[in-house]
Amino acid sequence: MNWSDYEAIWKRQEMPVGACADPATLKETFEAKRRKLAATLFGRDLMEAAAGVAVAGAFAFMWWKQGKAGWPISLAIACILWVTGFFIKERIRTHRNQLGSDAPLLAKLEAEIAELRHQRRLLFNVGTWYLAPCLAAILIVLATILLNAPAGVLAGHRSLIVGFFGGYIALVGLFFWFVWSLNRRAVRKQIEPRLEELERLQQSLISSS
Amino acid sequence: MSPSPAQESLFQAWLEEHRGIFVKVSRSYAHSETETGELQQEMLFQLWISLPRYAGQAKPSTWIYRVCLNTALTWRRGTQRRERRIEPEADISLLAADAANPAESAGHRDLLDQLYAALQAMPLSERALVLLMLDGLAYREMAEVTGLTENHVGVALTRARKHLALLLKGVTDELE
Repeated sequence: MNWSDYEAIWKRQEMPVGACADPATLKETFEAKRRKLAATLFGRDLMEAAAGVAVAGAFAFMWWKQGKAGWPISLAIACILWVTGFFIKERIRTHRNQLGSDAPLLAKLEAEIAELRHQRRLLFNVGTWYLAPCLAAILIVLATILLNAPAGVLAGHRSLIVGFFGGYIALVGLFFWFVWSLNRRAVRKQIEPRLEELERLQQSLISSS
Repeated sequence: MSPSPAQESLFQAWLEEHRGIFVKVSRSYAHSETETGELQQEMLFQLWISLPRYAGQAKPSTWIYRVCLNTALTWRRGTQRRERRIEPEADISLLAADAANPAESAGHRDLLDQLYAALQAMPLSERALVLLMLDGLAYREMAEVTGLTENHVGVALTRARKHLALLLKGVTDELE
């Protein structure tokens, strides 16, 4: 057999007939799925932005309660808003750079690979752009509260207060360590295998030519 | 963005006219009947959400091939992610690939099965090129689908055809 025989066999294959689903059902199903996807993505973006704004609002309230002496809390607010801004900037960048399924295969692969590399970099550096500013914000707020506390309160319950804040910082530290290791794990278990898979695919498409 | 009523009609027409593309791509990339159905659904969904971007510059078949092959190439990797995100949708059994046509002879079906088995043994990217070649797309159209240059497509196809011939060698020997 030669190539044209294969082509003939291929072209002679019969397609299933008369099994087409109702177009109205298709439309309804796909539209529901599209809306759900869009809502999920929007909800995630909104949550990330809203969480940052809510924490900044809570810090602003503390600043107001502390009066003028609470000014360092403004630095904590700036840290939180910076993280929130970073999240928003990242979301906008992702939406802009996303290529649809109708892009040429090579372009789509390259875009996905570039995105994965970017995500890997972000997850590796989560300590710098996320954990460090958040930790700094919490420490600033705690320190401001401690420094502005009435002398009598501190003198009477020094060990209790130190224990409370120490425990709180330890808990926050533990939580941040957990977030950091989760990110590392995501890079190792999800991003890197997927990246390798796509790079292999890209390589095979390029090198086969 | 939802497709416009005109695009909806186009979608419906394409389902009839280019049904073969969905069947062939899904059968070449999926390994079971269930997977074939899932992949077909995903390809149709991707086609649906890509429709608003269709400007009519590319030939419909070329454009549909792009959507289907992009979906198929990244499909396995995305399955788990999708399952977490999206609940199972309504049963859309419009393109059942296993619906054997009585008009096809048993010999022809066997050969076709062997051709599909050989395709599945090929690397994903070669498989895409061979599919396009078997369906009679010109080099220029294949270049449009893959993003490679026409020259590159030619070189890649020569290699892929050799590979396919090697995989089908047993079949060929039997027939000769």
